[in-house]
Amino acid sequence: MTKRLWLRLQSATLKADVFINRLLYQDFNPLYYTGGLANLFLTVLVITGILIFLYYEPSLEGAYASVQFLTEGVPYGVIFRGLHRYAADGFMIAIFVHLFRNWFTDRYREARDSQWISGMVLLVFSGFAGLTGYLLVWDERSLLLVSMTVQALRSIPLGGNWLATMFLGGPGINGTTLPRVLALHIAPAMTLYALLWWHYVRLRAPRVWPPAVWVLFCLGALFFVSAVLPATSGAAAQPGSAPQSFEVAWFYLWPYALMKWLAPAWALALIGVIIAYGLYIPYSIRETPAERGLRGLGQATVVEENCTGCELCYYDCPYNAIYMVPSHEPGKSKAAANRKLLAVVVEPRCVECGICIGACPFEALELPRLLDKDVQEMIRAGAQAPAPAAS
Amino acid sequence: METAMDPNASTPAPRVVGFLCDWAVNSEGLINADGTMLGFPNVTLVLVPCSGFVKTGWLDLALKSGAAGVFVCGCPMGDCLNREGNWIMEERIDQLRKRLQRQKVDPERIGLVAYGMHDRDGFVAGVRAFVDKVAGITPAPAGGKR
Repeated sequence: MTKRLWLRLQSATLKADVFINRLLYQDFNPLYYTGGLANLFLTVLVITGILIFLYYEPSLEGAYASVQFLTEGVPYGVIFRGLHRYAADGFMIAIFVHLFRNWFTDRYREARDSQWISGMVLLVFSGFAGLTGYLLVWDERSLLLVSMTVQALRSIPLGGNWLATMFLGGPGINGTTLPRVLALHIAPAMTLYALLWWHYVRLRAPRVWPPAVWVLFCLGALFFVSAVLPATSGAAAQPGSAPQSFEVAWFYLWPYALMKWLAPAWALALIGVIIAYGLYIPYSIRETPAERGLRGLGQATVVEENCTGCELCYYDCPYNAIYMVPSHEPGKSKAAANRKLLAVVVEPRCVECGICIGACPFEALELPRLLDKDVQEMIRAGAQAPAPAAS
Repeated sequence: METAMDPNASTPAPRVVGFLCDWAVNSEGLINADGTMLGFPNVTLVLVPCSGFVKTGWLDLALKSGAAGVFVCGCPMGDCLNREGNWIMEERIDQLRKRLQRQKVDPERIGLVAYGMHDRDGFVAGVRAFVDKVAGITPAPAGGKR
């Protein structure tokens, strides 16, 4: 049942790809650049974030006024603020399309677990950076969110009070609170780049940037939305008179919306369970070798005596699973006699796709359970079988 | 049942070897026990883990062994599970075609098709089109004498 559902989801996702390919040339299919689109929005966030940072004053008295000054007093400030606000939404949309597309098309497990796990950590850091952004505006909503955060932290049985004190910089909201929130906004955002390295480390040619036409379209859309629907603050925060409700920005503030229905401790526990499940997803399917079939032919093996050190496999492996190392002795075949390098398979990175086998003209690589000679036998049998007479 | 054969023709249908990526068209029930494709007794399918696994030497071998045509079916371009497999295969086939041309072998005998796991009908139609194209190529296959 579950397997059938996954096959349907996979089929539907691939159908969407092919449908868009019919509308646009495949080089411009945005579904092939979801990660690149997220990077584009992240870049907009960083650039506009730096500009906003130049005007932002992280103090209880000055924060709201500084954001208002940026919005109303600085030329095009409202556009910059809008770009930061809407790029954050675009970032989350791109991330989620990226996540579901890779999940539904089975690109998340086995040797790809590292990308999935790093992706989940990226998602948590992105969500956290986005969430703290809503606190920095220091309007009524920010104040309510801070008090809800403190309430949630205090509900943690062990160390909750300590966490809440660390978050506020004291027993209650004080002058050091907003600098801390600012740090909690910027530090996770900067960490994203370190995490992106982890996300890409196993990929030979990651597509980190969308085609120019999509860059222009997204930037245009961001400028348009920022101008038509300017990002604004609510009323200034007045400690002691926090409102009881707020407008939920669903991409980032859903954990607070949860607290409407669940006690803070349970809401936190639920978020923890969601994150833990996200980290478990790549390991949730265990298949027998028979079920894996052609997807489990064994990791590529180098036939050392035939390797000429030509590097073709090294360049073609999409997973950076082949390294070239200095060869200390010649190979046995004539072509390998003068080799300087030798291919080595980094086993944890090998997904058993066999692309290196296709790259190697010297029969120096094999998938253990589908050998070159077996394929040749099948080819000869197919090519030489007596042709059926046409009826 | 599907058939690639022209009821009016008296010549045998051309032998074709096809490499089918396991992630592309769903092959369940598509391959007979003898390795031929359902409805295409002249087409032998070899299942491979990725279209990029296919060596150009194998395509050459199929032609030298007597096949009239050989094709590789991968996922739709851009959809390769391994990101690059079908692009890499496309480049390799381009190079092989140039080589075949120099050897006076019609490069059209080598085909690259791309169908997703959902698009079995498209694949069957694609194979039929390829078989028909190969049947129209003269002279007859080299049959190992090349």
